[in-house]
Amino acid sequence: MAARRHKSLYIVIVGCGRLGADLANRLSAQGHALVVIDRDESTFQSLTAEYSGFRLEGDATEMEVLKQAKLSQADVFIASTRDDNVNLMVAQIAQKLFHVPRVLARVWDPKRDQVFARLGIETVCPTSVAAGMLLDAVLGSADSQAGSQE
Amino acid sequence: METKPILVVDDEKSIRLTLAQALEPLGFPVETAINGEEALAKLEEKDYGMLLLDLKMPGMDGLEVLHRIRERRPRTYVIIITAHGTIESAVEAMKLGAVDFIRKPFSPAEVRELVRQVFDRETLIENDAADYRTLIELCKHAIQDRRFEEAGEIARRAMARDPAQPEAFNLFGALLEIEGDSLESLKFYRAALDIDPTYQPARANLERAVSWPRAGEIGLGGDEGQAEPD
Repeated sequence: MAARRHKSLYIVIVGCGRLGADLANRLSAQGHALVVIDRDESTFQSLTAEYSGFRLEGDATEMEVLKQAKLSQADVFIASTRDDNVNLMVAQIAQKLFHVPRVLARVWDPKRDQVFARLGIETVCPTSVAAGMLLDAVLGSADSQAGSQE
Repeated sequence: METKPILVVDDEKSIRLTLAQALEPLGFPVETAINGEEALAKLEEKDYGMLLLDLKMPGMDGLEVLHRIRERRPRTYVIIITAHGTIESAVEAMKLGAVDFIRKPFSPAEVRELVRQVFDRETLIENDAADYRTLIELCKHAIQDRRFEEAGEIARRAMARDPAQPEAFNLFGALLEIEGDSLESLKFYRAALDIDPTYQPARANLERAVSWPRAGEIGLGGDEGQAEPD
């Protein structure tokens, strides 16, 4: 077995959509211990053969499911369902009730980003990220066309 | 601590991998087997210090493996890997002499802690002269003094010392109920009754725990004191 000499984290991901599954696959390949929760068992098909974590079928808005995932032991919690409100709720539960040291959430709506930030939850907003990148691309090319670099 | 290897027996690759990675830092050599047959073949060749055993496997299941281990290598500690909601079979396994169980999913830290605890506890049992009766009394005292964690440890030791006696199972059930896990406590009360259908404290606990409202006190067995239910 290939020994990976870094600290292995216990990471719980809610939502096994494209983002959740991709994250889970990559984190697991890096040697972290993963639990992925999704209401729909068929979503687990997106997990690759390299994924060596646990799959938990259930509704993460139910305390019992989060307890089953042993959330109180988690080092990192990631909310990546398609629903911002669900993400906000489970992220708060993870933070306030299970005291997970690091809680992250994906938020679609940039307006809600502020709310999450105020609650102390780290967020990634794909809309803002994409907008920023597109902006850079547009301005970057405009800059290079003008030949000006500040 | 001994350095005999640990054998992980699970048909799921991901679990074998997770466990092997989790145990690596403890310094034990870890080997794996993908089913009961392979596990027994490996046990024939080598003396393992501990087995982490999945109960649900195709072909020969975990309980069958446990049976055979008890005949051939009675001094190998066995920890059962169980899925949520299948704790009955874990209780069954403890009656067959498994020393503890771990519920899926688990974190690497949790696995290491359990393995360390089991080794510590078992060394203690081997070195300590306390017999079953003494352990039961110690456990009751600990419950009465509300030292629940310690009581749990002692109950586990007692279960391992003599899995054919009902008292320790009843006490462990009582502890689970005190901690608020009433559903799981029922399984331990039932286990106590399986061992001895005439054991009254477990019968009373079971009847009380399934009645509503839950009136009465949790019985620890024997004459001495009772634990408060909350």
